[in-house]
Amino acid sequence: MKLRWNVVAPLALLVVLAGLPLFATEYMLHIGVLVLLAAYLATGWNILGGYAGQHSLGHSLFLGIGAYTSTYLFAQIGLTPWIGMWVGALFAAIVGWFVGYLCFRYGLRGPYFALVTIALAEAMVYLVTNLNALGGAEGLDVRWVGHNPALMQFEGKTAYYYIILIMTALLLFGVQRYSRRRFGYQMIAVRENEDAAEALGVDTLAVRIRALVISAVVTALGGVFFAQYYTYINPRNVFGEGPSVQMLLFAIVGGLGTVWGPAIGAILLVPIAEFARSSLGNTFSGAHLLLYGVVLVLVMLFMPNGIVGLVQTLERRRRGGRA
Amino acid sequence: MTFSPELIAQSIITGIMIGGVFALISVGLSLIWGVMRIINFAHGEFLMVAMYIAYFLVARGGWDPYATLLVTTPALFLLGALIFRGTIRPILGHPSMNQIMLTVGLSLILQNLALVFFKADVLTTRTEYTRMILSIGPVIIRVPQLIAFIGSALTAFLLYWYLQRTDTGRAIRAAAQNKQAATLMGVDVQRIYLLAFGIGSATLGVAASLMISFYYTSPTVGLFFGLIAYVVVVLGGLGNFLGTLVAGLIIGLTESVGAAILPGSLSRVLTFALFILVLLFRPQGLFGGKRA
Amino acid sequence: MSELLQVRNLTKHFGGLAAVQDVSFDVNKGEIVGLIGPNGAGKTTTFSLLTGFLTPTRGTITFAGRRIDNLKPHVICRLGMTRTFQIVQPFPEMTALENVMMGALVHHRNIDEAQRRGRNTLARVGLAHKADTPGRELTLVEQKRLEIGKALATEPQLLLLDEVAAGLREAEVDVILDLVRQLNTEGITLLIVEHLMKVIMNLSQRIVVLDFGQKIAEGSPAEVSANPLVLEAYLGKEED
Ligand SMILES: Nc1ncnc2c1ncn2[C@@H]1O[C@H](COP(=O)(O)OP(=O)(O)O)[C@@H](O)[C@H]1O
Ligand SMILES: [Mg+2]
Repeated sequence: MKLRWNVVAPLALLVVLAGLPLFATEYMLHIGVLVLLAAYLATGWNILGGYAGQHSLGHSLFLGIGAYTSTYLFAQIGLTPWIGMWVGALFAAIVGWFVGYLCFRYGLRGPYFALVTIALAEAMVYLVTNLNALGGAEGLDVRWVGHNPALMQFEGKTAYYYIILIMTALLLFGVQRYSRRRFGYQMIAVRENEDAAEALGVDTLAVRIRALVISAVVTALGGVFFAQYYTYINPRNVFGEGPSVQMLLFAIVGGLGTVWGPAIGAILLVPIAEFARSSLGNTFSGAHLLLYGVVLVLVMLFMPNGIVGLVQTLERRRRGGRA
Repeated sequence: MTFSPELIAQSIITGIMIGGVFALISVGLSLIWGVMRIINFAHGEFLMVAMYIAYFLVARGGWDPYATLLVTTPALFLLGALIFRGTIRPILGHPSMNQIMLTVGLSLILQNLALVFFKADVLTTRTEYTRMILSIGPVIIRVPQLIAFIGSALTAFLLYWYLQRTDTGRAIRAAAQNKQAATLMGVDVQRIYLLAFGIGSATLGVAASLMISFYYTSPTVGLFFGLIAYVVVVLGGLGNFLGTLVAGLIIGLTESVGAAILPGSLSRVLTFALFILVLLFRPQGLFGGKRA
Repeated sequence: MSELLQVRNLTKHFGGLAAVQDVSFDVNKGEIVGLIGPNGAGKTTTFSLLTGFLTPTRGTITFAGRRIDNLKPHVICRLGMTRTFQIVQPFPEMTALENVMMGALVHHRNIDEAQRRGRNTLARVGLAHKADTPGRELTLVEQKRLEIGKALATEPQLLLLDEVAAGLREAEVDVILDLVRQLNTEGITLLIVEHLMKVIMNLSQRIVVLDFGQKIAEGSPAEVSANPLVLEAYLGKEED
């Protein structure tokens, strides 16, 4: 019975979401895209942050690598983003491996890892700002060539909506599946007790690096979608702290190391933030970030296990499972 | 571009001056880490708050920039102590991630509150010191930068003396070394934490007053200085007081000499490259650190 | 007789302190060897050296004919040697079954298979009824058993047990004694650190004695307990 719910509920949700474009306005679809993209990115961050327990504060590094790679390749040699996204993913994987190796080899983790990732992302902001080939501070446009599915450019929002819906569904399916496989358990073991994991034959360095690389690849693919959807990127909006903070925020609010937590966090917070942005944005451009800050502080103070964690605790208490 | 010896000499002098300030900004972060193993990711935003205080006292109140020390320092001590009491202390026993995320949240709040109150404008002061210079041969020393350097060095020295020579300072160091032992020796660790957080923040008040004559203020200014502080503390070895000071000078020199020989803001990239090199070859920082 | 483990001149310095100094001994296939010594003698440090958690300052360790003194713990575990921790190290958020499964996953990639083996192991250490309880909610006694269960699930040739009977009640100690003997008859070689003399004297075929990081005696339980050096090491020091 329990197992069925695990399958039925997500499938039902998927059907509802797939039917949304039939009656939704463009604006609703836009919000839908933002929610799904946020859910996708937060789920990707959660692989490393939630399951493997390494909290990156600079995941925009990988978002930017994906976005800039595909956009640059399209601008320079007309390469379709459908292929460019995999080049971006490859770059992100290489950078991710390098960062992971550098940090984890010497046991730099926890606060150290957070410092290093934030510094690296910020370094990219300055680097790209100074690279004229990448558009400098001005950034890059994804040149509009008209409705052209082969080049990942579409009239209207419906196609974008379906693309990010499929990406998110596949990612969630993958996390659901692999969190219950050997690698999933290994990530949790490394997070929970590194020495114990090593003693039990877990290559903790390799597991951490692998988690980082997977997370980096997922994030870079999201970056490509980001660029195609907004058709414009600049160093601050892809490499800056904004995207990094949002990724971790939704994951934390929803529940770290859970399959559905990050998506739930995004579903709850993004519409509110968008409302704040659109209603207060003219007088107060940081409204949604202020909101995020307040939410983050409150969650850390009062429900550090996020929404899913809270529900699980209540559930257990209801069943009287705790002696 | 020609790299004249004068230009290099000039940038070295400027680098040392600025490096002193970087060191002062970073020392508080390192102290807090050393004592309670917390990185305050709102460190830069604390500095931003102090700079606004200094700015308004100078620009609206007509204060002498250096007199603002009398307000910024206690104000930042208070800010640090209050934030510690209200938000960090309740979750001290929690995983370090929770404390990190909490301070990230605080930084978002402070930065965007500044945006509400002061808009995104970049504010600069013109004081009687702003244009003062000393020339030594071809090299110019800007007086406000010299004062900032001397002030930073003095503050760092005072702080070092306080930690080494006073009873409270010793208690702080004892708590940093071994919490249990310190408790057994009768040190009130909770009070020490509060004190360390307050002092670590108060150094930013000093830094703000020293910088206000030659540095602009904006809601995002903390982002830059926070980052500099992160790089400096990692370079110097987290929790290593003297290492932090030297690393501050190194970063100051890197930024300044880099700016002289590289176009645009590429010197910043040089700073980060140095950071990555250190990670590659001396991950414990140039001078060793205390890791959790 | 074939040596499974060869330790030669093993030395570990912590700053100025020689926690282990020039220690040499062998463990043969099928044996139960005891490692004893007063508190702070260097027993746990020796375990950490053998299993790769610490790198020796000097000396060599050979396991199953292969030098292992520069290998990481997980490699050594895969080669067939693993340890328990004196201070228990459960995975707090994982259930007892999942804890033990982590051991089984070393040689069995398939989750169902690992789970099946995990259940068996859990039953062997008497925790079958706690399979779904999170590690952090187990009592200390249960966590000690879990510690053995996790290590056992990796199917080691040589198992190092660090004070697994410490703090247990008489009846519980006997259960552990039976388990260790049973494991030994199944072909597992054991190196045991234990404070309780009763346990060590009962189980071990051979005993190595450390004091201040140095080996001061080696032999059968009878020989060792008659050795004046050993008596001296233990006298004047409190038993705890
Ligand atoms: N990581 C370490 N750093 C410094 N000293 C240590 C460390 N681990 C153990 N020691 C010291 O080494 C000595 C041996 O300790 P240990 O091997 O735990 O002894 P035993 O297990 O025999 O009681 C002790 O003096 C202990 O304080
Ligand atoms: Mg011991």
